[in-house]
Amino acid sequence: MSSQSPLRPTEIITRLRARFGQDVVQADEVHGHAVLTVTPERYHAMCVFLRDDRDLDCDYIDFLTAVDFTPKGRGFEVVTHVYSTRRNHHARLKVECDAEHPRCATVSDVWPGANWFERETAELFGIEFEGHPHLVKLVLPEQFEGHPLRKDFALMSREAKPWPGAVEGEEIDE
Amino acid sequence: MDQVDMPQPVKFILNWGRRYSLWVMNFGLACCAIELIATSTSKHDFIRLGVIPFAHGPRQADLLVVAGTLTDKMAPALKRVYDQIPDPKYVISFGSCSNCGGPYWDSYSVTKGVDQIVPVDVYVPGCPPRPEALLHGIIRLQEKIAKEDIREKWSGQLVKPEPAQTY
Repeated sequence: MSSQSPLRPTEIITRLRARFGQDVVQADEVHGHAVLTVTPERYHAMCVFLRDDRDLDCDYIDFLTAVDFTPKGRGFEVVTHVYSTRRNHHARLKVECDAEHPRCATVSDVWPGANWFERETAELFGIEFEGHPHLVKLVLPEQFEGHPLRKDFALMSREAKPWPGAVEGEEIDE
Repeated sequence: MDQVDMPQPVKFILNWGRRYSLWVMNFGLACCAIELIATSTSKHDFIRLGVIPFAHGPRQADLLVVAGTLTDKMAPALKRVYDQIPDPKYVISFGSCSNCGGPYWDSYSVTKGVDQIVPVDVYVPGCPPRPEALLHGIIRLQEKIAKEDIREKWSGQLVKPEPAQTY
């Protein structure tokens, strides 16, 4: 166990930019974490680099999920949050996915913990994780149809009785 | 027993015995379960009403308290537990989620009321209800048992609802 101090977000971004160049599309510091939008082609390679690089040393996957941006005219975004237990710093990768047939590379071979995160994301958002060893339903009932966290998923109760308050995202759009 | 109409004193004795020995099956699914457990402990102590905590399995239980959010995936398990409880059996639905879905009224995964799965005798509202509310619900259930006609209950026909009486 080393007792190295955490890398600052700018240092994490600099290291990834130096290695992957234009494949880091966008990089920001959000709440003290490095947040990087990356290209789908190099996403897996970047995850391997985050894990294996001695300075970055991100040995733990905190979570993996997705965001549905289809009402905004974009596709889906897979969000991968990783952490270094030895150095105590965070990094977050975002990958854009197609709206029609969302697909993304699996990172379950990089961090075994990603296996169940990807299964859950696959069933809730309908994103196919290519190369995943066992991409079947995890938490939903077997007979469940549809992807309930997609924005276009119809909630039967709301079909019968519309939401009485403000519509989601209404305040942001104004 | 479901063939003959018993004399009123016998009915009274049987109902009296039944309502003061309710061995409860704990079906805790969410935060409401904590309130149910709190009702069983020394401060509120529902054993003074004759409710015995907690049956080791459904085959020994008389009363099923569904406390918490029932999901569609969990619903078959609830049905199986209910079917294993021997007659006469009673069900209390404890909390908004088990009554009607509560705050998850528009959810894709939550069952909108356990009465879709099992017949419910008493509904206790609240999110979560306080232990006092469960004590009140138990008393209302005991009032219901007191004026029960077991012939009607076992014949499968619904007991005609009557205004609550205190005995």
